[in-house]
Amino acid sequence: MTPRIEVHGLGKRFGDRVAVEGLSFAVRPGEVFGLLGPNGAGKTTTVRMLTGLLRPSSGSARVCGHGVGGQGDGQALRRSVGLLTEQPGLYDRLTARENLVFFMKLNELDEAQAWSRARGYLRRFGLAGREDEPCGSYSKGMRQKLAIIRALVHDPEVLFLDEPTSGLDPEAARTVRDAVAELAVEGRTIVLCSHNLAEVERLCGRVAVVRTTLLAEGPISVLRRRGRVLEVRVEGEGERAGAALSAVTGVSWTAHGPLLRVTLADEHQAPEVVAALVEAGARVWSVTPSERSLEDVYLELVRDEPAEAA
Amino acid sequence: MTFHWRRALAVAWKDGLDLRKNPGLVWSMFALPAVLVVVPALVVWAWVRSPNEGQLRDIALFYDPAFVAGANATRFVVDRFVAIWFGLYLLMPLFTPILIASQSVAGEKERRTLEPLLASPVSSAELLAGKSLAAVIPAVGITWVAFLVFSIAIDAVAWPLVQTPLLPNAMWLFGVGVVAPLYAFLGNGIAVLVSARVGESRLAQQLSALVVLPLMGVVAGQLAGWLRAGASHYAIQGAVVLLLDVVLVAASVRLFDRERLVSRWS
Repeated sequence: MTPRIEVHGLGKRFGDRVAVEGLSFAVRPGEVFGLLGPNGAGKTTTVRMLTGLLRPSSGSARVCGHGVGGQGDGQALRRSVGLLTEQPGLYDRLTARENLVFFMKLNELDEAQAWSRARGYLRRFGLAGREDEPCGSYSKGMRQKLAIIRALVHDPEVLFLDEPTSGLDPEAARTVRDAVAELAVEGRTIVLCSHNLAEVERLCGRVAVVRTTLLAEGPISVLRRRGRVLEVRVEGEGERAGAALSAVTGVSWTAHGPLLRVTLADEHQAPEVVAALVEAGARVWSVTPSERSLEDVYLELVRDEPAEAA
Repeated sequence: MTFHWRRALAVAWKDGLDLRKNPGLVWSMFALPAVLVVVPALVVWAWVRSPNEGQLRDIALFYDPAFVAGANATRFVVDRFVAIWFGLYLLMPLFTPILIASQSVAGEKERRTLEPLLASPVSSAELLAGKSLAAVIPAVGITWVAFLVFSIAIDAVAWPLVQTPLLPNAMWLFGVGVVAPLYAFLGNGIAVLVSARVGESRLAQQLSALVVLPLMGVVAGQLAGWLRAGASHYAIQGAVVLLLDVVLVAASVRLFDRERLVSRWS
């Protein structure tokens, strides 16, 4: 399946400051892709480049077949994508209907058709019947939901969501998460920037962790197995087998019955650990990289990487 | 890249809607026209009601040393005052777009609405055109309506003296019809440029408002008798402002840069 988003060595500099460098990834139709990283890691800059708001300084990217930062000012690209910014950015004096109609006009849509689609989203997000109230009177959750509807009003193939559930109560957050999942099922490509890693684990199939550069990218299930903890099942008491690991530098271990949980100093030490156990006469039944939470993997990645100028 | 008027008009529609729902701004827009209409009407009314021929003759001689001894000094001074007042009246089309455009451009940054707006298909030129229309049309409309009220007020208070309508005359019609819209474009252009470079609407308003100083200088020159207010004087002013408008439009298109706006203000 042709990816909807293809990013090759993408970079952005603001004067001497490097915001993003050498990013490469691809996102397919119907996929929810997480873009993770600490504050100032370059997530927003990346999203701005992919939505045609900023021109890349290096590398290239295509979104829905439109080149990013090429000739023209990216109108066709912006027409194909929807963007939910970190702040909802609504016109408070205008009603929800007027806010949406404004974006329908900017997208030169048939207003009757677009409004019928918008009405569906208003119902889905529980805002039906409130569309003629000024946005200034909306709660934070309602504003966030309306901003999502605004991003969807022109039926984009790709949706960029920056912290979509930030500040929402659990029920509203659940509504938004369910909607994101449904939108992906409809075939939309969704890029989700979030610090809520539990939410990312729930919604995303794959993620990229960035801190100026790409630290890791891949399916969450693979990333969770990445790293330095091995679960080794041996015959007999693990305690006895574990004693053999004192010969391997930097390794620590704990034993629970036949199960050894070995923490490596370096993930490439796995063969060395197995060899040491076998040499000591242990019978090894299985060696499995330990599944950790995405949070553990993420923290390990961003802590290991020295901070770039951000 | 094609310019789509529909998108520019959408921006103007939204800004117009936002303006109508902002009573503070609407009231402030009407304050200046009220002053510029009421004050001269009161002055003319005072001169006509109890003219002090001696004092007014001195004023007439100051402005025209060849003023004929038997001529009506009150009439001369009223005519001169109405001609000079047009210089001050131009503050209205100049200042009103500054109030609106500062809010509409810098206000987008303050309210964090700029990024979603720039992420839509609207081009920089369409955005600029829409915002300019939203500022210039109300300014010119207010100027024209205020001129109608001003003409009626001046004619009413001057009637006992002149027994004929003083306004509209050719100079005022040319001024309000041609020069005032050019000033409105000037005020808007300056406010858009300043707003695109500063972070908040109040600062944008304050900096843009400095543009009224040269105009005040010109009016001071007229009052001091150094410049003679009249059709040719205002035609020259109009030509200079037209030139400035062209320069400002070119500069705005170049400086109203999407990337700069996003990276600095969103």
